[in-house]
Amino acid sequence: MKILRTASEGLESLAANKLRTCFMMAGTVVGIAALTVIMAIGKGTEAQVMRRVENFGPRAMMLVAGGGRTIGPPDASVATLTLADARAVRDEVPGLEIVTPQAWQMGAGLRFGGNQSKATMWGIEPEWHDAWNWYTVEGDGITDEDVATMARVCVIGSSVKRDLFGDVDPIGESLYINKVAVEVKGVLERRGVAGASGGDFDNRILLPITTAMRRVMNVDHIGGVRIITSDANRMADQAEQITRLMRVRHRITPPAEDDFRINSPLAIAEVVRGTSGTLTMLLTGLAGLSLLVGGVVLMNILLISVAERTAEIGLRRAVGATRRDIFHQFLTESLSVTFLGMILGSALGWGVSLAIQRWTTMPVVVSWEPLAVAIGFALLIGTFFGVQPARRAARLNPVEALR
Amino acid sequence: MIELEGIEKTYTRGDVVTRVLKDISFEIHPGQYVAIMGASGTGKSTLMNILGCLDKPTDGHYRLDGTDMVELDDEDLSHLRNHKIGFVFQQFHLLQRTTALKNTLLPLIYADRYPEEAEELAEEALAMVGLSDRIDYRPSQLSGGQQQRVAIARALINNPAILLADEPTGNLDSRSGAEVMSIFQRLHRQGRTIVIVTHDRELAEHAQRVIVLEDGQIAEDHRISQPRDAEAELAALAPAEENVG
Ligand SMILES: Nc1ncnc2c1ncn2[C@@H]1O[C@H](COP(=O)(O)OP(=O)(O)O)[C@@H](O)[C@H]1O
Ligand SMILES: [Mg+2]
Repeated sequence: MKILRTASEGLESLAANKLRTCFMMAGTVVGIAALTVIMAIGKGTEAQVMRRVENFGPRAMMLVAGGGRTIGPPDASVATLTLADARAVRDEVPGLEIVTPQAWQMGAGLRFGGNQSKATMWGIEPEWHDAWNWYTVEGDGITDEDVATMARVCVIGSSVKRDLFGDVDPIGESLYINKVAVEVKGVLERRGVAGASGGDFDNRILLPITTAMRRVMNVDHIGGVRIITSDANRMADQAEQITRLMRVRHRITPPAEDDFRINSPLAIAEVVRGTSGTLTMLLTGLAGLSLLVGGVVLMNILLISVAERTAEIGLRRAVGATRRDIFHQFLTESLSVTFLGMILGSALGWGVSLAIQRWTTMPVVVSWEPLAVAIGFALLIGTFFGVQPARRAARLNPVEALR
Repeated sequence: MIELEGIEKTYTRGDVVTRVLKDISFEIHPGQYVAIMGASGTGKSTLMNILGCLDKPTDGHYRLDGTDMVELDDEDLSHLRNHKIGFVFQQFHLLQRTTALKNTLLPLIYADRYPEEAEELAEEALAMVGLSDRIDYRPSQLSGGQQQRVAIARALINNPAILLADEPTGNLDSRSGAEVMSIFQRLHRQGRTIVIVTHDRELAEHAQRVIVLEDGQIAEDHRISQPRDAEAELAALAPAEENVG
């Protein structure tokens, strides 16, 4: 086909001017590489959001003591939330399936015989098991009676069992937590995942909330309230109601800062996305600038090339090239440059993404999807910046071009 | 068959109107070898560009094998050039980074149908101008005379109805010039229609017929009873290491 022959004329001129071709291509390479990395980070971030939300519970919220914007549990010393707050939420906010208070202390000291370890201690009510969908695989969980009687019992996570008991069957054994003896009545199923702050989820010990608050920590406040809504669609609305309720109860009027916060899948997603947001923004700027500047450079080199090759264009017209043939030849040059740049840029972006995946904690998922976007951009840039030089070449008057 | 009738070409720049060609009429029959002669600036190239369908007259009619090119649009003219016209220019106009073979077959790239045997055709055309042993050379590796012979091969590849040459020896030494002129004479003997533009009377007398332009008008149009023999002139020159065709 004639269009293939005129296209191949364009390709030959690229092959014959390799350095010029490199200059024409540079912007596309960098821009497409940046785009590829942006998409890999974006995909990785979304995967991480999904994982975190799955972990946290898609219908779950946490009302947590203390302000600020991190996801992890607060310091146990923040004393702004009480059991009465939890009750108020349960009584006054409609549409909630579970509202269960929790007290906790990070790094509580444990001892069994000669073995010692540290774990996160959780003071809980029985509903905790349902709220986290997390049950015992050996023995029993915490019961209402345990809570009512401030029983000296506990349920341990699989890591605590491993560290403290080794091969010994822990059920019925007593361990010391902060010098208080509690009897092990159950072992939690192993989760095998890292928490929001990166710690071992299974390194935990559960006590009845009353036992934890009175006997171990000797405090009146709780760390947070785990809330499961019966309708995920109403979650934003319910979070708003809880916020208003807490402000009233704690006598907070904006702009004064809240002394609590509500974690939800939305909030988690926001925080996770926030960590890669700056880099993504920088890369987006780089991509945009490279593609734009690269496109302008490409166009100008092509315009110079048209001027330099005026006689050649005149000769081609004299031997029978139509305006369209000349147009095709120069547009092919432009499109081939951006297409080749796209391939190199994708490869570069792919390499950089793999490097980020390997040497940083930034979530990155390498996939083929960016390639489709890159192809689209290559066509767009090649056409947009190639049309004007191609048109100028096509419009040359052959008589003047040959003079 | 070329028929020119009242051809005018004027250039208008602002208020200044330059009349470059004035009422040019003549016919060229198939197989004729015609020289268009005149001093510099008399409009020879302008006339040749019109004959080659590269440029349109301001007024008048130009029929090439019965088709009035004045009626045609740019695309049709391109097609016409592609299969009826062969150009040879003073400056050769070869693609510098391309071999003699590829330069020669360039017109075929723009043909409606690219012949399968394009390379063979190009080799044949190069053989006709005595360059069989140079098909893979680039212009920079060829002498001026050889480059102009590649240009002639290129002009011949489409088997054109007319071969148009504008000062084809203008950039050549006398020996290379004589070689080129002898090629034209040989092509004429083989039946080609050739129009050559020159300011040089001696060169013009290699043709059968000389049309003299003066100030954009035809001043003379006469037959040459005894055209000069380029072959003989070439033989009379000091022998060189290479032979022609
Ligand atoms: N585009 C143009 N605009 C104005 N004048 C032109 C243009 N092209 C050619 N001319 C004039 O037409 C005349 C004939 O030019 P040309 O055909 O090149 O002459 P020749 O080939 O006989 O030397 C010259 O005087 C030239 O200046
Ligand atoms: Mg001239």
